[in-house]
Amino acid sequence: MENIIECKNLTHYYGKRLIYKDLSFNVPKGRILGLLGKNGTGKTTTINILSGFLKPREGNCYIFGEDIQTMQPALRQNIGLLIEGHVQYTFMNIEEIERYYAAFYPNWNRTAYYELMAKLKIAPKQKISRMSCGQRSQVALGLILAQNPELLVLDDFSLGLDPGYRRLFIEYLYDFAKSEGKTIFLTSHIIQDMERLVDDCIIMDYGKILTQQPVTDLMNNFKRYTLSSDHAEAFKAMLEGNQLIYNPATRRDQLEFYSFADQREIGEILAPMQLPTQQLACETMNLEDIFIGLTGKY
Amino acid sequence: MNKAILLKEWIKIRIILLVALVASFSATIYALLKINRVVSFKGGFHLWEIILTRDVVFIEVLKYIPLLLGVMFAVAQFVPEMTQKRLKLTLHLPYPHTQMIAMMLLSGISMLILIDLANVALMYVYLNSVLPVELLHRVLITSMPWYMGGIAAYAVVAWICLEPTRGRKVSALFVGLGVVYLFFASDYPQAYDNILGILLLVIVALFFFAQLSVARFKAGCQD
Repeated sequence: MENIIECKNLTHYYGKRLIYKDLSFNVPKGRILGLLGKNGTGKTTTINILSGFLKPREGNCYIFGEDIQTMQPALRQNIGLLIEGHVQYTFMNIEEIERYYAAFYPNWNRTAYYELMAKLKIAPKQKISRMSCGQRSQVALGLILAQNPELLVLDDFSLGLDPGYRRLFIEYLYDFAKSEGKTIFLTSHIIQDMERLVDDCIIMDYGKILTQQPVTDLMNNFKRYTLSSDHAEAFKAMLEGNQLIYNPATRRDQLEFYSFADQREIGEILAPMQLPTQQLACETMNLEDIFIGLTGKY
Repeated sequence: MNKAILLKEWIKIRIILLVALVASFSATIYALLKINRVVSFKGGFHLWEIILTRDVVFIEVLKYIPLLLGVMFAVAQFVPEMTQKRLKLTLHLPYPHTQMIAMMLLSGISMLILIDLANVALMYVYLNSVLPVELLHRVLITSMPWYMGGIAAYAVVAWICLEPTRGRKVSALFVGLGVVYLFFASDYPQAYDNILGILLLVIVALFFFAQLSVARFKAGCQD
C-alpha cells in the first residue's frame, strides 16, 4: 500500500531533554491514524515536524514522497492542517476567511464550507473571535473540508469541545475521509473519540513507540488479566520486569496486569510462580483502557 | 493570491489606518495653524527670517508622529499573527514563505508611505503659499528622516513580533532602539542630507532581520 507519510528515525530534543529517539512510522493512503500519548510524549512535536514547523535533530519525514523540509509550496495544497485549539484568523468573519483561503486552493469547495456554516447559529458578519470554541472548531473544519486535501493533519482536534461538537466534528471528518479516500493523521486527548474515528493507532510513551497497529487488532489482542489473592503484592513484584506483562498493579487483594499474550501463554508465565491461575480472569477492553494498560496511570 | 494576502492585511489594519489618518492630519493641521498664526501676526518675511536664522522648521511637533504610526501598524499586523502561533497558518499556505512575509511587510509600508505622502502633500500645499521654494524644501527635507524613522520603527517592531524566542526579542528591541534613535538624533535642519541613502540601506537591512526571524520560527526555535 502506498504510504502518504513516511517518518524515518526521528530524534528530537528540547535543550538536553530527549523527546524521542529513532521514531519511525508510516501512514498508508486512505487510513486514519491516531497518535496517542500522555502529555509531554511528543505528539505536538511530531505534528510540528510533519507540518514543517520543526526541524528534527535527526531523521527525515516524507509526505507524498517529498522531504517536508524542502517541500515545494504547491504540495501544501494537498495537506490540510488543524492547529491545536482550532486556531484561525479570529479577526475575520466567516465570509472573509472563506474568500481569503479560496484564493490559495484551486480545488476549493465553498459549498462544503457553507453547508457546515449553515448549521452554526451565527451571523454572516460575526467575527470568529466572538464565536464559541465549538463554533470556531466548525469554521476550522469547514475550511479544511473546502480545501479538499489528500492528507489532513489534525492536532488535538477535540480540545475545548463539548460532546455535541466533538461528535459533529468526528462524523463530518469520518464521512469526508471514508467517502473520498483521504488520509488523516491526528492526535486527541479524548480517546473515546479515537475509538470511533481511527483505523490505526500509534501509542507513544516517553521517548518511544509502544505499539502501532490497527485499532481492531489492538482491541482483540491486548487484554486485561485480574486475579484475586492474599499475596497480590508479592505476585505483582514477581511479574514486574517480565517483557510480556504491562503495568502490573494491585487494588486491595486483586492483582491486575495487561498483556498481548493470550490466556494460555499467561498461564505458562504464571505457573512457575505458583499463582492460582484457575482464578485468572481475562477481558478485552475499550481503547482508553488499552491506553492506560500500555502506558500506566502515572 | 497576492490580492488575498493584501485583503487579510487590510482587514487587520483598516481601523488603525483610520486612526492614523485622523491623528496625523490633526497634528499636521495643528503645525500649519501655528505657522499661519506667525504669518498672520508678524508677516511672511518674519517667518522666513526665523527659519533661516534660528535653525527651526516650525513643524517639530510632527517629529515623532511617523514613529508612532510605524509602531501602531506593525503591532496591528504582526501581534495577531504571533498570538497562538497563528503564523503557522500563514506559512502553511501554498505560497513561498519569503514572498508571503515580504507581501505582508510591503502592505504595511505602503499604507505608512501613503499616510506620510498625504501629510507631506498637505504641508506642501500650504507652505508653498507662504514660503519660497528653497525654504519649502528645507522644511520638507528636514522632515524626511522622521518619516524614514517611522518605517524603520515599523520594521523593528515587525522583527520583534516575528522573532520566536524571548531572548532574541529583547536583543532585537535594543538593536532596534539604537537604530531608530539614529533617525531622530539631530534636530538641526537638513542635518541628514548626506546620509539619507545610508539610512535607506539600514531600513532594508531591518526587513531582512524580520525574514530571518521567520526562518527561525519555521525551524522550530522556541523558548
